[in-house]
Amino acid sequence: MNHDKDVINAAVMVKLEPDLSEGNVSYNPDGTLNRSQTKNILGPHSAIACKAAMYAKVCYDAWVSVCSMGPPTAEIALRDAMGLCCADELHLYSDRIFAGADTLATAETIKHGIRKMGRSIDIVFSGHRAVDGETGQTGPQTAWKLGFNFIGNVIDYSIDLESRMVKARRKIDLPGLYTVIEDVESPLPALIALDPSYRDNYRRVSERLRYARLMKEASRRAKDYKSYLRVWSAKDLGVDVRYVGLAGSPTIVYKVEKIPKAKASRRAKVVDPSNVEALREVGNLIFNIAFGER
Amino acid sequence: MMAKYQHIFVLFEHDDGNALNVSYEMLGEARRLMDGFNERYALDERVIAVLLGHNVRELAYKAIDAGADAVILADHEELRYPRVNLYTKVISSIVRDRMLVKQAAPNTSDEYVKPRYMLFGADGIGRHLSSTVLAELESGLASDVNRLVIDDVTITHQYKTNGKPELYRHVLFMYRPDFSGFLWTQILCLDNRNPTIAREYSPQACSVIPGVFKPLQRDGQSVDDGSRRGGVEEGYRIVEYKPEFSSDDLRYRIVRRQIIKDEIGLEDSRVVVAFGRGIKDDPEGNIRMIEEFANLLNAKVAISLPLSKQPFSVSSAMKEKYLIPARVVGSSGKRIAPRLYIAIGISGAMHHIVGMKESDTVIAINPDPDAPIKDESDIFIQGRLEDVLPILIESIRGLGPSR
Repeated sequence: MNHDKDVINAAVMVKLEPDLSEGNVSYNPDGTLNRSQTKNILGPHSAIACKAAMYAKVCYDAWVSVCSMGPPTAEIALRDAMGLCCADELHLYSDRIFAGADTLATAETIKHGIRKMGRSIDIVFSGHRAVDGETGQTGPQTAWKLGFNFIGNVIDYSIDLESRMVKARRKIDLPGLYTVIEDVESPLPALIALDPSYRDNYRRVSERLRYARLMKEASRRAKDYKSYLRVWSAKDLGVDVRYVGLAGSPTIVYKVEKIPKAKASRRAKVVDPSNVEALREVGNLIFNIAFGER
Repeated sequence: MMAKYQHIFVLFEHDDGNALNVSYEMLGEARRLMDGFNERYALDERVIAVLLGHNVRELAYKAIDAGADAVILADHEELRYPRVNLYTKVISSIVRDRMLVKQAAPNTSDEYVKPRYMLFGADGIGRHLSSTVLAELESGLASDVNRLVIDDVTITHQYKTNGKPELYRHVLFMYRPDFSGFLWTQILCLDNRNPTIAREYSPQACSVIPGVFKPLQRDGQSVDDGSRRGGVEEGYRIVEYKPEFSSDDLRYRIVRRQIIKDEIGLEDSRVVVAFGRGIKDDPEGNIRMIEEFANLLNAKVAISLPLSKQPFSVSSAMKEKYLIPARVVGSSGKRIAPRLYIAIGISGAMHHIVGMKESDTVIAINPDPDAPIKDESDIFIQGRLEDVLPILIESIRGLGPSR
């Protein structure tokens, strides 16, 4: 497919996830998630990916298409995504055959979806990870399957339309060592996974005005999201059913168990807070450790 | 049976020559796993470290020291820092190169195709590389694993076995704690034996949580006592791989790198005051009170993982100051060992405990007598923070001005 040099076609991959925010999330008495009592929303990391896509729309006039693999109810994630990035199209990949997919099989489905978007996609935005699955694998695996450069942990980015390069700033945590801030340049097409600390940063007044205008348009579109939505079955996407869903998942969840309580590593002295004298003693101890000799 | 899949491969992670501890932890665990594997199955498969970088031969010796039988080293200036797509090509080429793997492990079979097992770190390097390498190798991957077991298992699965019981051998059981920290999921990577979708999935791979597995005990000296397989008679092997790049591969460039120090300084603080979901009844007021308490003690403030997801509505000043990933203590945050750790309204999910269990003294404030944090505490004040903290603050104030 040939490109107009100045056009950027962007895709966003989002996920419907349980709402883990306080007041909405429900836990069982044993501390595990009560899924039936917890409603599902557009995942918070997906929302950040949408903001990054909006940035591309504001600054580079990008055409934006949002996609998600999930049950029919995942259309509300697409609706909310539209309200954040003023998407031009919404795509839901929904088929019983897709259910139970691990990250490899999910990436396979999304790869087909992105290739079927009717435009040659230059840049894909994904979240850092899902709050329920928490693997962070689907973004990079989709990038690899698409043959796109993968740029993860992105905290800021810009696109050079002339050279068709993306410039990105990454934040890399290296546990036990330090954190690295890395500036990279990558040719398009690329898939960017946004770090949770990404913030859209509109530097110019003209950008802020355009952002405000597009946000208004975004809420208008979100109200009418169904007319932008296309639902795709496995057949529509033309996937090989052996490579998606449970059939295409190398991994299975074999067992889920409660984590056995570790052997107590300390023996706690229990203090009753109504015993003010005992509490004062604890205060003494704290003071002595905090300010005593090393 | 043909041995198409052999050995455990471990990505040795480092930053420009500075090894990540998780590299030693993975090699220690790989050593233990394969020693058990070889004994149980009467096989002779090896621990092979894969090391990419520039001027990093020194690390190859350290990898051997940490448990590897062999190291495959790709030393090239273009590999100085990880670039996901470039590294993925090199790693995938290495582990599929039968002649190369034979050099590293001479007993490798002539039918060798791919690794049996692979380990990566669940960190800023390994998380993405594990994903792309396994996409390239078309096999399964579990993330954030904290326990590994090799065993045989009979599985009946609608897809994998077409509903019939099938015996799978040499299965890597990959345990990962879920986001709540209370559930443990066992993830298995299994071939499809069902004839309509038959496929072999290898390697069985995962990313492991840093700080969980123990490196081999070194006690200041080499663990090379000749007892390991491939030992004295063969010598440990360091095999070089010469990568080739296309100009396209190198168009992704690293322009600038800057190492930043942690601004919060949890690791260096004598006293750390941490809070969790227990602040929920008055998040803003409680955080303010905890802040006052910490200031009184010259303590740094930490949080549990759920708080970094900002589940409460508090002022944006509070949110940006405290409810941030940089303050998280636990397996996906900092691991600290202060003189005193005070856990306020933290239940003590396993991934939190990992980050604070080495503290000298632990005091917990929690109304729930069954909270797991109790078993990690020296003093457990069984009450609500709203009742307890004012008294502690007042009594500590009475002891004199904080210095």
